[in-house]
Amino acid sequence: MKQQTVCHVNDMQPGELRETELGRISVVVCKTPDGEFYAFTNKCIHQGGPLSKGKLCGAPQSDNPGEYTFCQDGEILRCPWHGREFNVKDDGRMLANPKHKLPSFPVKIEDDYVIVYK
Amino acid sequence: MNNNNPSSKKRIIDVDIHESVTYKDLFKYLENPYRRYIEDANWIQEKHMPYTQPSVAGVNRADAVVPDGRPAGSDLPFMQEQLLDDIGHEYGILTGALDPSPSSMHGWYEMATALASAYNDWQIENWLEKDERLYGSVHINAEDRDGAIREIERVGSHPKMVQILLPIDDKMWGDPYYHPIYEAAQKHDLMIGMHHNEPPVYFGKWPRYFIEWHSLLPTSHMMQVTNMIFNGVFEKFPNLKLMMIEGGFTFVPHLMWKLDQQYNDLRHEVPWIKRKPSEIMKEHVRFCTQPSEELNKKDFLSVIDQMGSDEMICFATDYPHWDFDSPHRSLPSLDPDLKKKIFSENARAFYPKLK
Repeated sequence: MKQQTVCHVNDMQPGELRETELGRISVVVCKTPDGEFYAFTNKCIHQGGPLSKGKLCGAPQSDNPGEYTFCQDGEILRCPWHGREFNVKDDGRMLANPKHKLPSFPVKIEDDYVIVYK
Repeated sequence: MNNNNPSSKKRIIDVDIHESVTYKDLFKYLENPYRRYIEDANWIQEKHMPYTQPSVAGVNRADAVVPDGRPAGSDLPFMQEQLLDDIGHEYGILTGALDPSPSSMHGWYEMATALASAYNDWQIENWLEKDERLYGSVHINAEDRDGAIREIERVGSHPKMVQILLPIDDKMWGDPYYHPIYEAAQKHDLMIGMHHNEPPVYFGKWPRYFIEWHSLLPTSHMMQVTNMIFNGVFEKFPNLKLMMIEGGFTFVPHLMWKLDQQYNDLRHEVPWIKRKPSEIMKEHVRFCTQPSEELNKKDFLSVIDQMGSDEMICFATDYPHWDFDSPHRSLPSLDPDLKKKIFSENARAFYPKLK
């Protein structure tokens, strides 16, 4: 099992992204506003955009044309290239098409350090 | 009254037939002062199509002029002889030749609304109630929205009115302005028919040559479908359906792919859309074969395959226009099941009032 220590839990702010290496794999680590950590492949499943250069933002939702509600602030990983949205709280599923999701990696906190595993 | 010809050569539901009216025909149905403006002042609607040269008889088939010299499409017995009985239509849907859209009326909304009403009464009395095979379209002046809704309420429940012909004007069809019209359409089981595509774009300019305009007809269809889908019209009106008439169908796979890809990237702008745009199209939108490109069987089936559905296209002749598609010759040889769907069953399944 490969593992990589990323940082101290307090080194990342809620809503922050950080790139790390797991062997030869580039991984994006996300810290959501509730203090949880998630890790995904750092290549968008669409065309390979580097997700760590994107944003952890929210998602407009609506049930009526022309009306907006802004939800899940800090929980949606948005690709820096074509803007595809992935819900980090839902296993990295794509909002527009939940059949697709980002490959994810387990994250553990040990002695207040963030560690990703493969 | 004519009945279905028992010796039908083909079982056809033709979703685009143009009946034609003269102002004189409308007098009986037009109240004053509108009738008197035409009679006394020789008022005519601005003829805004700047082309008369596509064929040897303008925009019509030269052989469709009524033998006594009246305009093509203006005489029921001649249309029966040349089209309905000859080909053996099961049903035909009339799509008219009158465009009451104010882009051609310079804002004289009262006249446009009155003309649309007179036209609808003329259509019902002279065509729909004289041939069992014919179904009709409610003409409206959409710029006078209250008047348009009154007209839909007035004639929309007629059992042979199957759709509303919505004029293309300076607002795209997804705009909330049109939503009360869609509500009225749903209430009366009427679909929205897109045919009044003159000029072809909502910003109202014409290309220099007819060949350009005719080549680009699908672009106006692509604009309206795209606008309606992303503005959430079909989410807000789940029973509303749209028939895209006279734009052809070979562009449809491209549009499905393009809108799905755009939705994957730009969902956050239109969060009321919950399904892939191609799924919305499969459920809510149908397209006509006419004007049909010359496709061999392999190419035709390839387009169907790319659509992922053999239920999205319906047959249309566009009689009596010059680019009429013959049911006998315009499509390649197809398997019987597919032929049946395109020539009749897809339309039957789609128009709520057509049984």
